[in-house]
Amino acid sequence: MAKVKPYAGETLVDVVGVTKRYGDLRAVDDVSMGIRPGEIFALLGPNGAGKTTLIGCVTGLITGFEGAVKIAGFDAVEDYQITRRLVGLVPQELNYDAFFTARQCLEFQAGYFGVKMSREEIDELLDQFSLLEKADANTRWLSGGMKRRLMICKALVHDPVLLFLDEPTAGVDVDLRDELWEYVEALRDRGTTIVLTTHYLEEAEKLADRVGIINRGRLLRVDAREALMEEFGHRHVDVRLGAPVASRVAEENRGLRLEVLGEDRLRLHTRSGEEVEGDPAVQRLMKGLVEAGEEILEVSGGRSSLEEIFRKVLNEDRAPEGAEGVP
Amino acid sequence: MRPAGAPPESAEAAARQKIAELTARADEGRLLGAWTLFHKEILRFWRIAGQTVVSPVITTMLYFLVFGYSLGDRLQTIQGVPYVDFLVPGLVMLALIANAYINSAFSLFISKIHGTIVDLLVTPLSYLQFLTAFVAAAVVRAMLIGGIIWVVAMLMGASAWHNVPIALLFMVLTALAFAFIGVVIAILGEDFDHINLLPNFLITPLTFLGGVFYSIEMLPEPWDTVSLFNPVLYMVNGVRYGMVGVTDVPVWQGVVLLVGMNVVFGGVALWLLWTGRKLRE
Repeated sequence: MAKVKPYAGETLVDVVGVTKRYGDLRAVDDVSMGIRPGEIFALLGPNGAGKTTLIGCVTGLITGFEGAVKIAGFDAVEDYQITRRLVGLVPQELNYDAFFTARQCLEFQAGYFGVKMSREEIDELLDQFSLLEKADANTRWLSGGMKRRLMICKALVHDPVLLFLDEPTAGVDVDLRDELWEYVEALRDRGTTIVLTTHYLEEAEKLADRVGIINRGRLLRVDAREALMEEFGHRHVDVRLGAPVASRVAEENRGLRLEVLGEDRLRLHTRSGEEVEGDPAVQRLMKGLVEAGEEILEVSGGRSSLEEIFRKVLNEDRAPEGAEGVP
Repeated sequence: MRPAGAPPESAEAAARQKIAELTARADEGRLLGAWTLFHKEILRFWRIAGQTVVSPVITTMLYFLVFGYSLGDRLQTIQGVPYVDFLVPGLVMLALIANAYINSAFSLFISKIHGTIVDLLVTPLSYLQFLTAFVAAAVVRAMLIGGIIWVVAMLMGASAWHNVPIALLFMVLTALAFAFIGVVIAILGEDFDHINLLPNFLITPLTFLGGVFYSIEMLPEPWDTVSLFNPVLYMVNGVRYGMVGVTDVPVWQGVVLLVGMNVVFGGVALWLLWTGRKLRE
């Protein structure tokens, strides 16, 4: 095949003012966002926030929405045959076709997309997800985790440019979860753009380039993971002293955000984006303690997880206008 | 330095290349998609052929034995045709109508219940391809069962091949119409009761009262006139004309009715798929 010119658009997916109503309920409420080629995008939100509905609008599972969805410049409603060829979906709900084997399911799924897969190609895909020995088993007899992995295989048979993973690790054991995320990263390195939703926020924190937070149908934030961490997150340094002088030290260093954790324990709060080594607040505290001749027994550090940030954003959304967010 | 949140440069470059390449061939293999769905639907009922093909054939042949040979001796002939021969088209249609409906309705409804419909809804299959594959498989099953009953009846001594093309035309059009109805009901239905409602309370009664076992000439007034409002009567009699050369109603009326039914129910099914009603909500 002749080499084609690389796709030049800034975004692969453009969601413009999408609203999906069910009666009076707006499951997705005026959402606009873009997904960039090659990124891993984590869409986070509590149950019923509208994640699956929004994914449905992009993948074609849901029609009759207001606004527009474009994939690689093609309209997801008008040019649905092209856009659906580009997209793969691992749905949240477990499904299986009780009439067929795992291999047959993949053969059919590829066929629907106009792709003829050889037996070797199917076996290779099954093998990547540790399903090869179940290739000829009726899908009814697969365990929950196996069914989930088969669903991922089905979403990959046509080698999509954009893969939606809606809670792909639900019911999958820890080892396989790690393997799956390694596979997702490898897939992205080979040129597949990934959009995922997950309840395991540490996974999103590890993998995602950007994060979108959705609640009650509204997209509250879309930002680089690091940017969110910097804005909403914080870092802390805990110090254990050799004497019960924590209150006095805190009193003497009023300019620092010090929290007394115990008679000999202090916590210094600092901004998340700054590295501990270069943080002037940390340096100031340490220098002060050394100069005052205090004995330092232990220093440890930590920072807010994406989960805490996620809660913070949701709490701000819940809080009435002008009120303080719940910390 | 890449901005925060940007994917690795190499991944973005690979993605841009992949998008361009797949977009350039995104419309390839469309026919394979429809063929695959049709093929899968055929395999689906064939894998359980004992239940989906053999069982309805045996049940129908029991009717043939019981009615044809026990009642046949008393009735002798209807409209100059031996009762055993007269019965063949009725029984063919009895099984054909039920199985055309059941195949498309249950297959689509089960995939809705099991959630596997999602695997189809995200594919590039056009709405017409989707519909065609489902109804074509249903028509194949119905014709297979109808055909076996027809052939077995002939092997058992019935003579029913007056005008084979006419008989086949009515069989195909009837199977198609009920396959469309099956798709419509499967889309609109929300539980198994909805799927069973139509065959139990409408299709089976209409079929039994549609001249499967008798000629409406044998009915007293006003039932012979009332029977003329039963669409299944026209289907059974069209096939009966093709098989044994007699009919209670003009054959052309049956053709017009069936074409009309196919246009209406095919149209409704396509409209439902097009709008996504009940499927893509």
